[in-house]
Amino acid sequence: MSQWVCRGIKTRIKTTHYPAQAETAPGVSPGLPLGGAYAAAVASLVNLCPTKAISPGLVKDSLIVDYRRCIHCFRCVRGATTPMRWDQGWQWAADGQKCDSVAPGSEGNRLGRVFAHSVHIIVVDAGDCGACLNEVKQLNNPYYNMHRLGFFLTPTPRHADILLVVGPVTEHMRLPLLKTYEAMPTPKRVIAVGACALSGGVFGPSFVSGAGVAQTLPVDVQVPGHPPPPLAILHGLLVAVGRQTPASITSPAPILPEATTR
Amino acid sequence: MNLSDLSQQMAQRWHDQVRVRTEPHGPCGEVECPAGLLPEIARWLFAELDYSFAGLIVEEDPAQWVLRYEFHRAREDVPVQVVVRRALAERTFPSISDCVHAADWHEREAEDMFGLIFEGHPRLGDFILHDDVWQEGVEPMRHKFQTSLAPPERRPNPHWSLRRIVQTPGAFAMPIGPVFSGLAESVHFQLETVGEDVIRCIPRLFYKYRGIEKIAEGRAPQDALLLAERFCATSAFAHALAFCQAMETIGGVEPPGRAKTLRVFLAELERLRHHVAAIEGICESTALAVAASQMALLQEELLRLSGALTGHRYLFGLLTPGGLKCDLEDDACQRAIAAAQDILRRLRQLEKMLQFSSSFLDRLEEVGVVGAKDARTHGLVGPVARASGVVRDVRKALPYCGYEAFNFDVPIEHEGDGYARLRILFAEAAQSASLMQQAGAALRPGPIHTPCPSRPGAALGWVEAPRGAAFCWLRISEAGQVARYRLMPPSFANWHGLHLATENFAFQDFPIILATFDLSVAENDR
Amino acid sequence: MIDTGALISVFFLICGAGIVLALLIPDRGNPHWLAGIGSLASLVLLGVSGKVLLGGGSWSMSLWTVPGLTTLSLNMDRLSALFIFVAGLVFLPVSIHASTSLPRYLKHYSLRAFSVLYLALLAAIVLVLIAADVFSFMLAWEAMSILCYLLVNYEHERSEHTRSGYLMLAISEAGALAAMVGFLILGVAAGSLEFPALRSAAAGLGTGARWAVFLLTFFGFGVKAGLVPVNFWLPRAYSDSPSAFVPVLAGVTLNLGFYGIIRVNVDLLPMTLVVPGLVALVIGTISALVGILYATTNNDLKTMLAHSSIENAGIIAAGLGAGFVFTACRQPVLAGIAFIAALYQIINHSVYKALLFLGAGTVDERTGTRDLDKLGGLIRLMPWTAAAFLVGALAISAMPPFNGFVSEWLTLQALLRSAELSSIAVRIVFALCGAGLALTAALALTCFVKAFAMGFLGMPRSAPAGKAVETHRGALVSMGFLAVLCVALGVLPTYVIPVLSRTLAPGMGVGAAHALVPPFFAGSPGHKQLPRAFMAGFHNIGAQVGENILPGRGLVVLHRGGTANPVVFAMSTFYMAAVLVGMVLITWLIVRWLTRRRTVRVRAPWDGGVHRLRPDMTYTATGFSNPVRVIFDAIFQPTTVEDTRQTVAQHFRTAIRREKEHVHLVDKLVLQPVKSAALRLARGLAALHHGRISSYLTYTLLSLLLVLVVFLLLPAL
Repeated sequence: MSQWVCRGIKTRIKTTHYPAQAETAPGVSPGLPLGGAYAAAVASLVNLCPTKAISPGLVKDSLIVDYRRCIHCFRCVRGATTPMRWDQGWQWAADGQKCDSVAPGSEGNRLGRVFAHSVHIIVVDAGDCGACLNEVKQLNNPYYNMHRLGFFLTPTPRHADILLVVGPVTEHMRLPLLKTYEAMPTPKRVIAVGACALSGGVFGPSFVSGAGVAQTLPVDVQVPGHPPPPLAILHGLLVAVGRQTPASITSPAPILPEATTR
Repeated sequence: MNLSDLSQQMAQRWHDQVRVRTEPHGPCGEVECPAGLLPEIARWLFAELDYSFAGLIVEEDPAQWVLRYEFHRAREDVPVQVVVRRALAERTFPSISDCVHAADWHEREAEDMFGLIFEGHPRLGDFILHDDVWQEGVEPMRHKFQTSLAPPERRPNPHWSLRRIVQTPGAFAMPIGPVFSGLAESVHFQLETVGEDVIRCIPRLFYKYRGIEKIAEGRAPQDALLLAERFCATSAFAHALAFCQAMETIGGVEPPGRAKTLRVFLAELERLRHHVAAIEGICESTALAVAASQMALLQEELLRLSGALTGHRYLFGLLTPGGLKCDLEDDACQRAIAAAQDILRRLRQLEKMLQFSSSFLDRLEEVGVVGAKDARTHGLVGPVARASGVVRDVRKALPYCGYEAFNFDVPIEHEGDGYARLRILFAEAAQSASLMQQAGAALRPGPIHTPCPSRPGAALGWVEAPRGAAFCWLRISEAGQVARYRLMPPSFANWHGLHLATENFAFQDFPIILATFDLSVAENDR
Repeated sequence: MIDTGALISVFFLICGAGIVLALLIPDRGNPHWLAGIGSLASLVLLGVSGKVLLGGGSWSMSLWTVPGLTTLSLNMDRLSALFIFVAGLVFLPVSIHASTSLPRYLKHYSLRAFSVLYLALLAAIVLVLIAADVFSFMLAWEAMSILCYLLVNYEHERSEHTRSGYLMLAISEAGALAAMVGFLILGVAAGSLEFPALRSAAAGLGTGARWAVFLLTFFGFGVKAGLVPVNFWLPRAYSDSPSAFVPVLAGVTLNLGFYGIIRVNVDLLPMTLVVPGLVALVIGTISALVGILYATTNNDLKTMLAHSSIENAGIIAAGLGAGFVFTACRQPVLAGIAFIAALYQIINHSVYKALLFLGAGTVDERTGTRDLDKLGGLIRLMPWTAAAFLVGALAISAMPPFNGFVSEWLTLQALLRSAELSSIAVRIVFALCGAGLALTAALALTCFVKAFAMGFLGMPRSAPAGKAVETHRGALVSMGFLAVLCVALGVLPTYVIPVLSRTLAPGMGVGAAHALVPPFFAGSPGHKQLPRAFMAGFHNIGAQVGENILPGRGLVVLHRGGTANPVVFAMSTFYMAAVLVGMVLITWLIVRWLTRRRTVRVRAPWDGGVHRLRPDMTYTATGFSNPVRVIFDAIFQPTTVEDTRQTVAQHFRTAIRREKEHVHLVDKLVLQPVKSAALRLARGLAALHHGRISSYLTYTLLSLLLVLVVFLLLPAL
């Protein structure tokens, strides 16, 4: 056993400094396309997207990217005559629309302050391809080590404060997902992770697959990406407890009329 | 033996009842026979000619059922398809799962999806569509079943009950899942037991059934490729490669040499990452925390390496029929090879340390034993089969992407226990790193893409995915859309054999056996 | 004040009248009459025995002098009164319960017969207990044995019932024969068959005779008590008896065995040898272990309780054995403590076992099954039955503040006091037996967790178990009465111990009660006489707190070791119960206060998200006790009866069956060898019957010669 202890000590600290400092290692994030002005290429780029994530913006010659739908097919960069600009970051987590009466971003999407440094998370795989789940699993590895931020995984919903759902919610998983949510004590929040959980991705809606978690449960935080890298999921968790500010689910962020933001 | 020998032998045995065609769909033999003869031919191929069963492809023609039973051999030889046709009104076929047991779940799937009946199969129903969610008679793979319609009304059987096998007094089925244990994929286990030992493990799969084969139909090949790439992310590149190769066979094109070499390079990168993750899973299941986190470090480094090299940590969006979507810089590849070699060096150190961790070995040795005979009859594939002494590697048997030009071994072990499976994973990871190096050295400048036309036709694509041989059958319609996309992933074969390993082992061994079996639910559930 | 003799006459009159009435009343109304008459007779019994027990003054009368043999006489001393009192405690609720459990036999079996046999048995049992000479004792004993057989065999249409009844009769006859020989050895020495004469002649008995009397009576009466190795009849008879009768079998006739052992070996012939006591101790420990092992692994509610009776009998026998050893070593106080422990265990076992058997009978009646693998979820359907059964289960697993805890604590304390004996070998035997009994206690808890959890918690595992409804009020009252007794005997041991100590022979009890319940508290009589030094010893542990305010006996069992191990043991189930109730109340109040503004949501148990949780997905009783089965495999030595894998074609397993047969250890080691030896002997003798006249004449001649030789040689010896 002592050899393992030595090995562990010799490995030194590998953990990222995020959220205190930015993580700069290459390959931590696949990035997401940026919307905005694209002049003449707008129509061709809209057609390239297989999931209709890219749509023409209200401003002429501009594009809006709906991150809930982006599945990282890279068609808008690889082989496109005018490649889209690329965001290499990962702070993508945005507030979910809980229901019509509550505006996104209101306090209802956050867990209370008492949970800020101790949150128990249950992960439900509702039809995930394995990537999102694997990225959530990476949060446990020494590079990300979510325990240092007070996040813990629990296998039982009875101890959980946050329900983290990956996958588009298949027919067979809908009831288990609902049962898990029902079995959780209040207050509880739901984080949908990955494009599949936000929009159904390439799978849904279909006869056996839903179009995301929001059809079944009220979603508090959305983490886009296909899969979102571990840092994006970490950002989502920090947003859920109010330790990070949420981003916008579209690029560029919609300019909301005064009346709705108040 | 080549195809002409095979057709001669068949003609001797069955005269003009069978018709052998060569290369109807690319490099592949086709044996057409009447339904009644099917079990006999299947048994002959399996038992006497040492063919392995790869999968059952059901196609619904406008007028008839076409059932293609896919066989292949460990030696360099083309795959053979046994084809049976019957009118649509007739739904009954003979079952071959008694002699070729690997066909068991394929037949159950065909029963559930198409409503076919396999005579002699004792356990049909309640497989993909769970009977406690769906009523009988939903046949989603039939052409008449429209995916665009709203999900059909569901009237599950109110008297649904477990189908239990263990009849010992006081036996019960311990339910596990589908939501259990932190980060496990959704699957339900019924561990039939009388208290201490698992007498029989019945995995109840398809909680994550996403209907890939159905929703692929009618899509353009480029869009179906997205499905092939994304239904199982941990072996995304392999399945996308199988799809692309099927497309290329239909289109009759050969990707350029640089593209093929890069495909080998990336496929082996994926295999290396997958094996590291699998070893991490084994360490985690035995609660060897330091080893698990060391493996997790390696896995994350490989993910970052993939991300930095290709833009995506799981190698999405790279493949396209006819080649690759984007070229990789030679320098970047060399850096990646150096990084992979470094990872391999550390992996070997950890392997040594694991070999001296007696508490770890105690939990793996002689646990979850699968004998060679069982492994063959159940049609196990990949590292699991190779740990039980069954040599099955389609990179050697049916080389693709120029694998024949590379120098690599297929490691093999004979004990069939958890430790043998672990050793196989380590040995294969080393082979993968070596293959990456060879591929890096073989990289020559050149184009990376040949345009691949979308012609009508059908072809079989195969690849040695990290978990074992993966086959897919692709048919393109006249309109250039996917008409049938049949997936035969390795996890489907290996889940079928899981009960062999768990029989008569205690509860606490179960997670370890599961980890050494290295199964993916997403790959199986499709 | 009514005379004791008159009350006893009234009791026998009630029984006689009841028998006559039972013959007259039609079957349908019979159970209710039985309940009335039976409980009336029991009340009379309680009254008369309570009077003797508390008031003192034994009662005796001579019935009839058989010319040339003996005088038939009756005598009720405190020991008899104690056992009669316990019999009354059991018969009262059982009679009430019978009114609800008997009607199921209507039209199948004669209910009149049951009533007649039941009342006759009650009378016979009382006769056994008050008989004061060997002749009437054995007469009453035989009547009791035969009546028991008839009642066990009540459902006579089922052949297995007849078989187990017959086995019981045969074994108990053999036991009675052995006991009678034991009595006769005493009688020969005394020249009389009356108990007082036997008692006075005992002192002159030699070692060999003492050994013979001990072995003959211990194993002879041990048959009824269910001690290893003469208990193979017990599980069979208990599980095949009607539920209206089995509490009597466990709660009363089992005690009669111990009554016989105590009457002979404590009262008539006090032990002077050490080793017989050790034999009793070891036999008791083995019985306890074997009993609880089979109880834990058995899934039939009644059979399980039967095996648990063997366990309890073992604990009682261990207590008695310790008492014998202490008596022989001239440690009267310690012997008193051990005997008190044994007597307490006898009372407790009667009470909680009757309660559990009534509960099991109720469950059987309501669900039609006793198989724990098929029960479950009854707590929601039969809450009161469940509560009563839970009290019984907690009591039998020796959980404070219930009665089982007190007697097991006393027994273990008595065993620990062996440190004061001089012989190291004896001390080692005591230590080993103490460890064995501790293991027994742990297994008993496992066993009854299984019984309650599998029977009453979880999901119903069969359709009838899901449709059960709560039983009649009469049955609930009878179970409630016993449950209250379980609590009372557990909470107030300081009032029971002096009574028990007085039932023992003079010179044995006083010191024991004083040692266990000293007048330590100011309110107790005799407090002033307590030596200062004694008091000071307790002050070291802070026992003086509350010295002046606690009432009466202080409700604390205080007990101080001798010079060899000067340890102070103190136990108060009363205060334990009070603190427990207080803590639960306070916790409840705190939780209520903390959650006063919260709405509590009650959700279904977490099932891992399965679509439908079915009963066969939950633990079975077999599964629960399987670890015990695996660990003690060497003792059970199961033989695999069936290990089949049904396959359709070659590879499909459609059924895996694995059945193991557990032959009871005692059956294997005792019953089967005896049986096969008897059969061999019979076969050998049968060979002599071949029908040839000449050989038969030879046999006659040979026997004649043999007799002659014996009679010629006998005077010479």
